Amino acid sequence: MVKVAYYPGCALKDRSSHLDASARDAAERLGFQLDELESWTCCGAVPPVSRERVMNLVASSRILKNTRDSGRDLLVTICDFCYNTLKRTNHRIRKDEITRRRINTYLAQEKPERDYIEETASPWTDYAGEVRVMHLMEYLRDVTGYDEMRKRLSRPLEGLKLAPYYGCVMLRPENEIGLDDPEDPSIIEGFIEALGARVVNYPYRTECCGSYLSVSDPDVSTRLSYKILSSAAGKGADAVILSCPLCFHNLDSRQEAISRVFPGFKPIPVFYFTQLLSLAMGGDRDRQGFSRHHVDVSGVVDSIFAEKERQ
Amino acid sequence: MKRIGVFVCHCGINIASTVDVQKVAEEVGKMPGVVFATDYIYMCSDPGQALVREKIREENLDAVIVAACSPNLHESTFRTAAGEAGLNPWQLEIANIREQCSWVHSDREKATEKAIRIVKAMVEKTRLNESLDPISVPITRKALVIGGGIAGIQAALDIADAGYEVILVEKEPSIGGHMAQLSETFPTLDCSQCILTPKMVAVGKHGNIELMTYSTVEEISGYVGNFTVKIRRKAAYVDWSICTGCGQCTEVCPAKVPSSFDRNFSTHGAVYVPFPQAVPNKPVIDREHCIHFKTGKCGLCEKTCEIGAIRFDQEDQVFRREVGAVVVAAGYDTLPLSELKEYGAGRVPDVIDGLAFERLLSASGPTNGEIRRPSDGKVPKEVVFVQCAGSRDPERHKPYCSKICCMYTTKHALLYRHRVHDGQPYIFYIDIRTGGKGYEEFYHRAEEDEGIIYLRGKVAKIFRDGAETVVWGTDTLTGKNVEIRADLVVLATAVIPRKSTARLVRKLHIQAGPNGFLAEAHPKLRPVESINSGFYLAGAAQGPKDIPESVAQAGGAACKVISLFSRNRLEQDPAVAWVDEDLCGGCRICISVCPYDARKFDEEKGIAVVNEALCEGCGSCVAACACGATQQKNLTDVQIKNMITASLGGK
Repeated sequence: MVKVAYYPGCALKDRSSHLDASARDAAERLGFQLDELESWTCCGAVPPVSRERVMNLVASSRILKNTRDSGRDLLVTICDFCYNTLKRTNHRIRKDEITRRRINTYLAQEKPERDYIEETASPWTDYAGEVRVMHLMEYLRDVTGYDEMRKRLSRPLEGLKLAPYYGCVMLRPENEIGLDDPEDPSIIEGFIEALGARVVNYPYRTECCGSYLSVSDPDVSTRLSYKILSSAAGKGADAVILSCPLCFHNLDSRQEAISRVFPGFKPIPVFYFTQLLSLAMGGDRDRQGFSRHHVDVSGVVDSIFAEKERQ
Repeated sequence: MKRIGVFVCHCGINIASTVDVQKVAEEVGKMPGVVFATDYIYMCSDPGQALVREKIREENLDAVIVAACSPNLHESTFRTAAGEAGLNPWQLEIANIREQCSWVHSDREKATEKAIRIVKAMVEKTRLNESLDPISVPITRKALVIGGGIAGIQAALDIADAGYEVILVEKEPSIGGHMAQLSETFPTLDCSQCILTPKMVAVGKHGNIELMTYSTVEEISGYVGNFTVKIRRKAAYVDWSICTGCGQCTEVCPAKVPSSFDRNFSTHGAVYVPFPQAVPNKPVIDREHCIHFKTGKCGLCEKTCEIGAIRFDQEDQVFRREVGAVVVAAGYDTLPLSELKEYGAGRVPDVIDGLAFERLLSASGPTNGEIRRPSDGKVPKEVVFVQCAGSRDPERHKPYCSKICCMYTTKHALLYRHRVHDGQPYIFYIDIRTGGKGYEEFYHRAEEDEGIIYLRGKVAKIFRDGAETVVWGTDTLTGKNVEIRADLVVLATAVIPRKSTARLVRKLHIQAGPNGFLAEAHPKLRPVESINSGFYLAGAAQGPKDIPESVAQAGGAACKVISLFSRNRLEQDPAVAWVDEDLCGGCRICISVCPYDARKFDEEKGIAVVNEALCEGCGSCVAACACGATQQKNLTDVQIKNMITASLGGK
């Protein structure tokens, strides 16, 4: 089985462990293994909003350099924040020679672990952006291929109406990420169609969920999440599909608060794209971590299995 | 030894604040042969020039250095002054201590040292300068105007009225350009057709204008005063020399082709005249959509045409013409809606651009001037106008201001109110820019008396929701987000250069700026000239412009052409390349590197020769010549070596 270097990031080891588990399961069903990096650290998470221009890129640079030094030239990640941080760091390193030199100066000063030195006998080489950073969905689109996915479906999600949700950092800034057009993206739509489900078009798919305001000003997140979810539901969506753990938090666990503030709001299930992928590829419903969802997903999941039985 | 004079300019404080000009004069004055050196506050002023003239005579100078700004600015000024004082103009050189020294440095001491070396290098060069005589060449007194929009029309008429011949080349079947598509024009609301079509007719009838529509410039060679152009006239498949323009063929044609003139709101046949007032009023056959060309059948037009003007066997024709000057009035386009992903990427039917709205407003348009939206033909009651759609947006689109949109959007909203009395127009804007005569008053009238709601802010997103088009924007004056459920949205899309402009730039060897608009020789002082002599610019191909500005610039370009044509012969800089016949080995490398076709091989002598009229003195051949046979006058290898030595502080 093809092994693909994989950086999970913090959220996938804790709150969003069901994203990690379902992704690994789905990948193996598609014939590749998510091979977790050894002794990885935090990616830095907030460099995009920080004023410091070099120091905050060191953690993500270290991850990228270690990936290269372990002989891999491709790194897949799933969390949108990790993806954004790693990809933008790589972009800066590739484009900006001064940043590249400074970061490598920092990295060279770190005291490496002894066994690591012995393992890599080769002399120091500056990290120059050799690794390609890919979002798992990008890997599915560009390496696996949506057509190939469609061929391998063992449980097509026919009849299911899914609302794609992009959030903010998966696509922006366009010139550094380059995954898709941030104003008119299609990568999740293509994914939904590859699973055999129907795309629900609604205007809030690229609007903000409130992101970190969830911590400092949760009312804002509640209001924004309400708009997104009610718009999707209003257009007939059975569920919302996304990839970002923070978006998931805002759109799923905040629905209780939304129901309090906006009476009449009807909860709507939110899925990670990997969960639906795993199910469509024949995955076990018990391995998707549905118990961690605040909103009950059993109706939608039941319908997926019922649809299969009908066929 | 030559008696050399040095004049160091302060340029007010432009040079003097960074460079110790007295010290420069003092140091250079110590050089052998430098018999006079001084500084002065404004050397280019009348007293400054008088000083140079006076000292040439008094000190009996053989050569002069003016240490000042770039030679691009005042070389000719000072050379003329030197000539007046009896000195050969090519014995005067400029040492650039402004752009290349004071403007780019801040350390006074180092800048002064650098200025001294720059001047010393020019002294060394000038020691070996020869006295030259200008090269004189004849002029072909005929102009080529590229583009038949309002700018090209105006330039052609002005030149032709002055008594010179003009060839006007337009790639569409008719002249008129975008102005022919417009309804009414700001700020006076004259009907665009009414003020344009008489000029179009005048072009068609003018004895001095050869009108070549459906044609493009294929190639140009030569130099100012003496260009040769190849013009390709596309096959119209109609013999215009006998066609009476009766229009019978256009009526019988069964094909349906979307009209680009009507922004696809209507269709015409495969044989068509773009609009009723076209000049020339002769049809062309669109080969791509013609049933006869596709299937070999049909031929209805041929059967209908009693005089036999339909000619399916016609081919493209290439014409050769000699001209002395070229006016480039290639026009503009607008950013395609498909580029504006945030505004529906052109997929929302009731989101249209400004030119499309002009067609809806136009009395001769597809709806006869009734405002009806594209999706269902309903009269829209809520119309949102979005300014800066793609302009002033360096992150996603164009960084520049498209200039014409504030005014035409105001006009659109106002005309909409005049047609739909119970309709509500909204205008989203960043700033309202009304720099033009009568513009501010026009805007105030719209804002105060016409019930138009102006919202200061950008529109974030436009999408379709059922039959409505939803606009999300922000009103930065109240700090509130705004949602308008509109019946029709009109985007003031960015003005961009035509796609064909980039090709034209390459063919003509002229320059374009970073955004693709044609580059002028100087942004303030030479706005209608290209950097390449003999080429003049008019209209929006040089940058976004409204009608009055385009007409003014076209008149300016025409005046430049007329002034060129008023001379008997042209004088050119004689500092060109020459070949030492005794040294040339006949390898022909210089011929291959010359970008101006100025070198030919003389078969009889077996050497390369220079056409001095074509040579621009770029020096490519000098660098390429393996045996040192080619030298540039007044910039020989010896002069360059001496200049390098002086620059490095030697001697």
